Amino acid sequence: MEDIPDDESWKDWFERHGPKLLLCARQWTRSLADAEDVVQEAFVRFWRRQRQLGGSAQALLITSVRRAAIDLARRNARRGVREERTEGALESTGPVFETPLEGDDRRQAIESALRQLPAEQREVLVLKIWGELTFGQIAAQLGISPNTAASRYRYALAALRETLTAADCHG
Amino acid sequence: MDDEFYELEAELKRLRPVSASPLLAARVEHALGVPRRNYWRWAALPAAAALAGAVLLRENQPLPVSGPSPAAAGNVVTYKPVSAQNLLYEQQDGGLVTLADGTTARRYLNSYVDTITWKNPRTQASLRWSVPRTEVRVVPVSFQ
Repeated sequence: MEDIPDDESWKDWFERHGPKLLLCARQWTRSLADAEDVVQEAFVRFWRRQRQLGGSAQALLITSVRRAAIDLARRNARRGVREERTEGALESTGPVFETPLEGDDRRQAIESALRQLPAEQREVLVLKIWGELTFGQIAAQLGISPNTAASRYRYALAALRETLTAADCHG
Repeated sequence: MDDEFYELEAELKRLRPVSASPLLAARVEHALGVPRRNYWRWAALPAAAALAGAVLLRENQPLPVSGPSPAAAGNVVTYKPVSAQNLLYEQQDGGLVTLADGTTARRYLNSYVDTITWKNPRTQASLRWSVPRTEVRVVPVSFQ
């Protein structure tokens, strides 16, 4: 967690944290294009009005991303009215992670396993691992208790490991 | 978390989420109202060309004389376009996008400088006009 120094440019900050924000946005939207729209809206709003508020900039920005995703879902009216709740998607097209040096098969297996997770578990996992939030911050984001966030995280890791182990066994 | 998942957590943390596309960064930059240095640089070109053209036109004008004369009537400056070029000086990969019909496509952000040259066939004086242009191209991607 870090605050933004006064002399840091938006571009430096965006280059360093943009990928994490985009990943968070992708699980709350239905396409990469929607996720980019959400990140743009949230980041611009944050940079203009919220970055001087103090506290964890990353947590504040992820809150802004989630709020923008909820607003977009409402505007699109693609589903019925479900207040304050986004539907996890992590669309199936396009890579989620950069290709690691040690090979692409493992990355694809992890991405596939992530997509199979229940949305409520995946969002906790993504916010913890790549969003670098604490369980307390995740709980505040999602309106759940920290214990529930921790439980979902454990369930997600267990399910991931099971899926990946099965994938290894079947080649 | 705990030792049970330590290795898996470490492996997940090593994965880097894909980068935001340059096009998204450009959109954020535009929305923030940040002037782009390149745009200012290229925007200066048409102004410079216009200034050069004005100087050329002025040099081709006859000296002021009192009353019309056949010589002055023959000095009407006529420039004709003689060439047009498109120079691609930068191409950025804008990443993958999903179109409305579900098709996966890749976005490219191409930056050109279009240059048009006019020439006066009588005096061989020339005028060159350079204009920056940005093109966004979306190309469907096929997976095997």
